[in-house]
Amino acid sequence: MVERAGINVDQLVELLVKNAAAELTTYYYYTILRVNLIGLQGEGIKEIAETARIEDRNHFEALVPRIYELGGKLPGNLKDFHDISACPPASLPRDPTDIKAMLTVLVEAERCAVRGYTHICNLTAGKDHRTYDLSQAILNEEIEHESWFSEFLGEGPSGHYLRRGETSPFVSKFLR
Amino acid sequence: MRVFSREELSRYNGRNGAPAYVAHDGKVYDVTESFHWKGGRHHVLHDAGQDLTESMGRAPHPAELLKKFPVVGILRD
Repeated sequence: MVERAGINVDQLVELLVKNAAAELTTYYYYTILRVNLIGLQGEGIKEIAETARIEDRNHFEALVPRIYELGGKLPGNLKDFHDISACPPASLPRDPTDIKAMLTVLVEAERCAVRGYTHICNLTAGKDHRTYDLSQAILNEEIEHESWFSEFLGEGPSGHYLRRGETSPFVSKFLR
Repeated sequence: MRVFSREELSRYNGRNGAPAYVAHDGKVYDVTESFHWKGGRHHVLHDAGQDLTESMGRAPHPAELLKKFPVVGILRD
């Protein structure tokens, strides 16, 4: 049905797998980051880093069923999965107390994700409603993540609010 | 500055050790070092060795992103 709507399913699956890899590698990065976010500056961004960490893991988990629904599959080992990530795998700055460097890595990772899901939304709009709905939900959360880190870098006010209550307000419907 | 024909440009497809070049708006950029052009492919849908001028309009990013890469020539039509 998706193919008949004009989607190249192989290409779409490859994009979804690559973006799922980006989510899982970013989840790992947020995890080591969380450990290193200490001191007056570090503690200040720990809360949003933790929210983004959980939500990126949720994005990975929400993408997996759609990949298999479309006939795709994940690579057989984590290294292969890591190596096909849609975004450059983030790594801890050489100086783990350099909070600005950490934020810069984060904001670039989020911008890459925003471009990736915008791309998938553009490809699937009006053709593959389920993948579109999922990608749009993830996109909404990635845009918020980007805005939080961008504000901490002093790039200007985003107008976004922090999470109140549950994480993944957009993606949670895919996790039930 | 080197002048590329489309046929010459297509040899720089980033595969089998070849550099990855792409053209945009008459300029040829070397994107070999870019993570996003690993293996000569960009986000599944685009191949190095091509003129991206038309497809750039549908990209989820501005063409200015290319400006961080070295210009290695111009594309002759």
